[in-house]
Amino acid sequence: MKRKFFTIILLAALISLACTTRVSEWVLLNARPNQYTLVYFHNGSVSESVKKQNQKLAEGISSSNIQFKTVSRQGIAEPYYGLYYEGRFFSKYKTVDDLRGLTSSPLREKVAAELMAGKLCVMLYLKTDNKEKDEKGLSTLRSTIESSPFGKIITVLELSRNNSEEHHFASLLLNVEDDLKDIQEPMLFGIFGRFKALEPLLGRGISEENINLMIDYFTAECSCLIKDDLPGTDILSLDQWENPQTALLNRIIDDNPTLGY
Amino acid sequence: MQKDTLSYDSLDSRPLPKWLIDQKSGVTSFQPEEIVMKEDHSLEISFIVTGVFIILLAAFITLYLNKKHKNQVS
Repeated sequence: MKRKFFTIILLAALISLACTTRVSEWVLLNARPNQYTLVYFHNGSVSESVKKQNQKLAEGISSSNIQFKTVSRQGIAEPYYGLYYEGRFFSKYKTVDDLRGLTSSPLREKVAAELMAGKLCVMLYLKTDNKEKDEKGLSTLRSTIESSPFGKIITVLELSRNNSEEHHFASLLLNVEDDLKDIQEPMLFGIFGRFKALEPLLGRGISEENINLMIDYFTAECSCLIKDDLPGTDILSLDQWENPQTALLNRIIDDNPTLGY
Repeated sequence: MQKDTLSYDSLDSRPLPKWLIDQKSGVTSFQPEEIVMKEDHSLEISFIVTGVFIILLAAFITLYLNKKHKNQVS
């Protein structure tokens, strides 16, 4: 009887804890990133050297949220690699050299480090390299973050969509929605949890109101409604999500409870 | 989130992300319970109940002592 009573008390405590966790922290602690699939398509015959090369490739990417498959398909002129996410086709690569840096890059490492340090989110500003367009959104972003009570726990990073070192990262971001590649506007991605990127604000949508709504989403109490239907796309990155720092958001809300609503 | 690209004429008519629509409509945020002041009669009720209890107890003790005294006299 006592044991049952103790179990009920413990469960109630856990449930109450779960309900007061904020979206950003809950996703980081609990939501495992979805898997990508890299498929090597060939027309039936694979040489030993290619087999070895693919084995090395599969081993190299095994520490990321991606799996490797080989598929034989008739009517292919040349073998190629295809990257898929949740059944959606992302990119095509002709050779294994094109895949260099697919799962990791300096900026992705930096984003992951910020998230693991307890930051609320990383706001990544994807630039078009059109100075006039880029500066407008960037100044709105900076002023909004400065005036936000959560500004100190938000990291703002910039990336050009033409950056050669980060071209895989930029490509993954531009695949978050099907039409982004064709839109030549600056984009603001909210990145949270284990490298989940929200569908971006773009162009004139990068407004103070919308940025604050994005911050509100990350700071909201994690309801079942949110847990069951998490938005965004998991970006390909190294599996490095063990033992994150305590969310910095909690201290801000503890010091000023009115910000929690 | 809708993954299929919807057709639209210009960037302004492009559909907003679902998370943004939800945030704008307040679907994902908790609405704090509205606190309404109600008249509180609990103190009055408490005084009345205590008074009635004391009167009944005093009456019972009086009757009991009277009866006991009569028995001793007889």
